[in-house]
Amino acid sequence: MTQFITTVLTSLSSGAIYALMALALVLVWRSTRVINFAQAGQAVLTTYIGYTVIQRTGSYWLALVVAVISGAIIGAVIDRFFMRPIFKRIKSGPIVMIAPVVATLGLLGIIQAIIGFIWGLTNQSIEAPVSTGGYKVMGTIIAFSSYNLLVLVFVAIAMLLLTLLFQRTNIGLALRASAYSPEIARLSGVKVDAVRTLGWAIAGASGGLAGMLYIPGYFLYPNAMDLLLVFGFVAAVIGGLESLFGAVAGAMLLGFAINFSTTYISPKLFFPTAFIVLVLVLLIKPSGLFAAKKSRGA
Amino acid sequence: MIRNKNMKRASLVSAVIATGAMVLSTLPAQAATPGVTASEIKLGISSPLTGSAGLSYGKVPGAMKAYFNYINANGGVYGRKINLISRDDKYLPTLAATQTTNLVLKDNVFALVGALGTATHSKAYKAAALAKNNVPDLFINTGFSGFTDKTKYPTTFMVLPTYAMEAKVMAKVIKDNFPGQASFLLAQDDEFGSDGVAGFKTAGHTFSATPILYPQGSMTAARAEGALSTLAAAAPGKPVLVLFGTTDVTATILKAAEKLELTKKFTFLAGSVGADANTLLALGVKSTTVDGIVSASFMPDAKDLTDPYVKQFSDINTKYNKGITFDNYVLAAMNSAMLTVQALRAAGKDLTRAGVISAIENKGAKFASAGLVPLGYSPTSRIGYNGYWVSQLNAKGEGKPYGGKLVVYSTDSGAGAVEVSTFVRPTMPKNGIPTNS
Amino acid sequence: MSKHVSTKKRTLLFVAFGWVLLILGDRVGDLELYQGSFVATYALAITSIILLTGYSGQLSLGQSALMAVGAYAGALTIFNAGLHPIIGLFMAALVAGIFGLILGLIAARLSGPYLAGTTLALAISLPTLANQFPILGAEEGIVFDVGLPPARFGEEFSQYKWFFWISCLASLIMVWFIANLLSTKYGRTFRALRDNPIAAELSGINVGRLKVVAFAISSGVTGLSGGLLVMLISGVSPSAFPLSLSFALLGGAVVTGLYNLKGVILGGLVLVAIPEIADSLVSRIGGSEGFITILPGFLVSALLILAVVFTPNGPGHLIKRHHKK
Repeated sequence: MTQFITTVLTSLSSGAIYALMALALVLVWRSTRVINFAQAGQAVLTTYIGYTVIQRTGSYWLALVVAVISGAIIGAVIDRFFMRPIFKRIKSGPIVMIAPVVATLGLLGIIQAIIGFIWGLTNQSIEAPVSTGGYKVMGTIIAFSSYNLLVLVFVAIAMLLLTLLFQRTNIGLALRASAYSPEIARLSGVKVDAVRTLGWAIAGASGGLAGMLYIPGYFLYPNAMDLLLVFGFVAAVIGGLESLFGAVAGAMLLGFAINFSTTYISPKLFFPTAFIVLVLVLLIKPSGLFAAKKSRGA
Repeated sequence: MIRNKNMKRASLVSAVIATGAMVLSTLPAQAATPGVTASEIKLGISSPLTGSAGLSYGKVPGAMKAYFNYINANGGVYGRKINLISRDDKYLPTLAATQTTNLVLKDNVFALVGALGTATHSKAYKAAALAKNNVPDLFINTGFSGFTDKTKYPTTFMVLPTYAMEAKVMAKVIKDNFPGQASFLLAQDDEFGSDGVAGFKTAGHTFSATPILYPQGSMTAARAEGALSTLAAAAPGKPVLVLFGTTDVTATILKAAEKLELTKKFTFLAGSVGADANTLLALGVKSTTVDGIVSASFMPDAKDLTDPYVKQFSDINTKYNKGITFDNYVLAAMNSAMLTVQALRAAGKDLTRAGVISAIENKGAKFASAGLVPLGYSPTSRIGYNGYWVSQLNAKGEGKPYGGKLVVYSTDSGAGAVEVSTFVRPTMPKNGIPTNS
Repeated sequence: MSKHVSTKKRTLLFVAFGWVLLILGDRVGDLELYQGSFVATYALAITSIILLTGYSGQLSLGQSALMAVGAYAGALTIFNAGLHPIIGLFMAALVAGIFGLILGLIAARLSGPYLAGTTLALAISLPTLANQFPILGAEEGIVFDVGLPPARFGEEFSQYKWFFWISCLASLIMVWFIANLLSTKYGRTFRALRDNPIAAELSGINVGRLKVVAFAISSGVTGLSGGLLVMLISGVSPSAFPLSLSFALLGGAVVTGLYNLKGVILGGLVLVAIPEIADSLVSRIGGSEGFITILPGFLVSALLILAVVFTPNGPGHLIKRHHKK
């Protein structure tokens, strides 16, 4: 029984972490139709910036704010000076899908090199802003801490705020329109390029949040979020790339699946579970669990 | 037909670049003994400098170079300066194969030192045809016992004790000191972990539950918490938890123990690969948690400046390896470098590949080194250190002899018993500069 | 419409190129032969990407997994079953092809990022699975030994030259086969499928089946390249096929142009040459230890990005259509 409860709790924590990355990836996708592999690098970079703030001021919360803002700036810069020129050159065919993948991968490498150059290659750690000790429930310490709760709360808030942004505001409409039908959006007077940059900024900010929430439970080094990128992406696809709620739901499903399979069946199923869950979901619903409609072919 | 002008241009540029690279890599004429001239000895190392393995082992080449520079400033080896060429293999077998081949065919090194990793080095050894070219493969950075097989790896000399040896010593520690307690094993799911599992088996030790073997990269905080709570619930008293993994995993598990307030529930027995106290503390493990961890080592602790070797290497590090903190990784690397210098000296002024191999075989066991356990080199044995002493970490991150008194154990990778060794470490050569021949 | 090279002409071209390689092989040193073998192997892997992504429009990140499947199949054939290395390479292609067939059946229903995500998950999972079954040799892996060059080639015929011959021959044959395939009706059908799946479906093409066929053939080619790769490192192990390999191959494919087989050799060359250039440049420039460590990775990424930015835009016939308007 304790094992079951523990597994449920750790699944929630894992799910929340995957959700952090999944949200950022879905944001980029919904506003720009690009899978941004550099997200892992951007998030780590902003976390290093946050780390430096902590070194100077000792305040985690200040660092969090700085990380989110710098994430937005970096995201905007990347779109304006990097993605936009690429899209101007590549107009159609499968290359439209694959070029951003390759380009963002290259970008990831560059960001990681820059980080290594500025901050060095050794491990660092960031202390969590709240207790990481497990709560005491009925005499036993459970595998859930204030920190886990904090992450869950932030994920929920981020998801709600961003969904509101996309569904209820004009900016959100402009974002979705620019991504879905740029020509029509342009005809309607939307400044597609500027809106796209805004989308990248929002995604970058969300990545900044993700990094600052993830790293304290882990360690800080240039490749720290590489694995999270993969799981975040799988989670996003499971949830259907079209909805932020789907991203969180997909992440939770993945977190539960992985923790339960590794605890009850075998620890070696850690990676294969991701594949199995993904295939099962996509066999039933090829565009993911919560996609509104059948997704168009890329 | 290449129609598109851009494509043509890009293709042309690529072709020029690629051909240029190929030309750049053409070798000059070879010397009689590769890598040796009147003034220089070229050595090569292929190891992870970047990527997750680079975190722990990235310091190794730099530390070795620092020691070699020190020796070079003091006359070198019979007047020859040692030049260590380091190549990054990111812990990938394909890269290790190409980089090692580069070292042999392009950089023309005399010998390899400190090659790192089992999967990486086993592929690199064959790909670079080290056996065929009789390239000495000195003091490799891995504890996989397979490398002692002279038929498969005729030019290889280990230095680290094998993981199996470590497991056997640990088994003895558990038996002697924690007789009534349950014991569990958390090990990395690869040759490192399985060598350990085999070692425990040969020593006749059975764990209270099946060892948990986790794939590399999968021991997340969630997994650690799950594993710890299951194990804690499974055994009363204070079970021994053996951790056979890398330092970042040890840190993850310890932090999970902190979260679940299980730090005093277990006696943690951390394998040498994952017990670097400095790194544990840097990764956020509390000093109160580190206090009491039992580990095994074959070297003195890097913080023990009363040890003459440690002091000497630390001084060299300050002077020749600026900006790098002196820790157990640096200590081990410099130690291997010192062994290398003695090997080169023992081979004589007329330096040949065959010469250095037989020099280690015949004289290697007597080389001076910081190791507190004996070296096992002989004409029939390629084993380096063949034992461990048991340490206990304290809140300051220092490793002191467990139980207060230093006891050195010596054993083999097979069914041999674990015995207390009467080994006395050779005195350090003056100023850390070997004068052997 | 691009002029179609007849099969006969193409065969002659390939044979001629093969002879050039043979002669070149005699003139260069072991290191170049070794590097050349990697070039041939990567070129083959890129060919499979061009077929799968450039022609049938399916983006896969799972090359590393398929190479692993082929590599292990080949290693098991040679080492455990004791069969001839050529059979080993054949099995590498066959087993990977069958695997690809199954994968293709799943993939045909998926599009764009969904397929990418699935193949990504596959790429990270497959190496772990190799640790599951003791017969697959765990971390040390299985030896992949193509044996020494035949005695009749003489003492001077090095192992590297033998690798070079095998990899070039295997790659030439496969690329020739694929080139022929793509120049037939199949090729046009693939392109139609890629550019406008709806129109293709309407004109009677069974889109689903075609995608599966493409996946299967492409996987077979990838599997063979996996077998060649482990031949070069004399053994297969789980860590030989990390996710980064998929990414690198994709990058190579983009650099040389996704829509045309002509660039594959250049793609292979680039994948081998760029890290070499980065390494040499860095050793020439020198600098602090940290700088030297990071710079090669930086250069490789930067060059990749430049290549993507300056890589050609689209296939020839889309430009033609543009002109027609």
